Amino acid sequence: MSKIKSLTAEVAQIKLASDLIELDARLQVLESETQLSRERLIRLYKEIKHKSPPKGMLPFSTDWFMTWQPSIHCSLFMNFYSACIKHTDMGDGECLVKAYKLYREQITMLGLPEVLSLTRAWRLVKFFDAGMLTSTACKTCHGSFVVHAYDLVKNYECGLCNMPSRAGKTKQDAATRFFNEESMFETA
Amino acid sequence: MKANELLEQIREANLSYLLLAKQLIHEDKAEAMIRLGIDENTTELLNQLTTAQVLRIASSNVPMCKVRFEDPAVWKLLSDHGKERAISGMHAAILMAGRCTQVTA
Repeated sequence: MSKIKSLTAEVAQIKLASDLIELDARLQVLESETQLSRERLIRLYKEIKHKSPPKGMLPFSTDWFMTWQPSIHCSLFMNFYSACIKHTDMGDGECLVKAYKLYREQITMLGLPEVLSLTRAWRLVKFFDAGMLTSTACKTCHGSFVVHAYDLVKNYECGLCNMPSRAGKTKQDAATRFFNEESMFETA
Repeated sequence: MKANELLEQIREANLSYLLLAKQLIHEDKAEAMIRLGIDENTTELLNQLTTAQVLRIASSNVPMCKVRFEDPAVWKLLSDHGKERAISGMHAAILMAGRCTQVTA
């Protein structure tokens, strides 16, 4: 990665990195979204979180995003994210932070569990950039929802207009399962 | 008398809306654009208004803020939710978040 020459640009990068760390971003996210060196990022992480950054691989499959509950959360986040990208002049990293904050605020208001972590949200954006996931309009409510890029989505109906019968029944299970999964990654 | 009262209420609504908008913009311009659903020019315009100008604008007889969502589905989800309040709220939130990208004003 290229070294940053301007001091003010570096300040902006450090600000972005600390925002991301405060939202529990993994080191991989920081390395990808900023041009700061790994050593400096680790130092920053320790300063803010008072512990070493978690190690281990990131979740890499698109399938998780497509199960009922995560897909709804992803769709909400992606709607905020694309609004930020389209209507403001913020960079990708700043949009990620902003959209994630808006998403989290909405979730907290509704009293729902925080299904999408910042690292997952970042992966989601990467999957979009790579063309593996895309968003499509529901034929009933016309909202924009996250789908697999190569699904047949001609007459797509979203999981909220046409709820699967078991949907929501395992909400608590899904939430705890998710957190276990994440903490597993962290200790791995 | 009644007309005066109505005008007074319009003035108050205008004033609180404009002040809120200015505060949001002051705190975070980009976020304010998303929250308020307004474009960059309008944001800049509101940002540059002085307090005296805000007062002058607010005291007109025209309400200066407008209903943002014209999709009946949004209103229905927010008002008539059944037992699944969180699910309806989530659905409405997705629709509303999607609508702020369609602002072309």
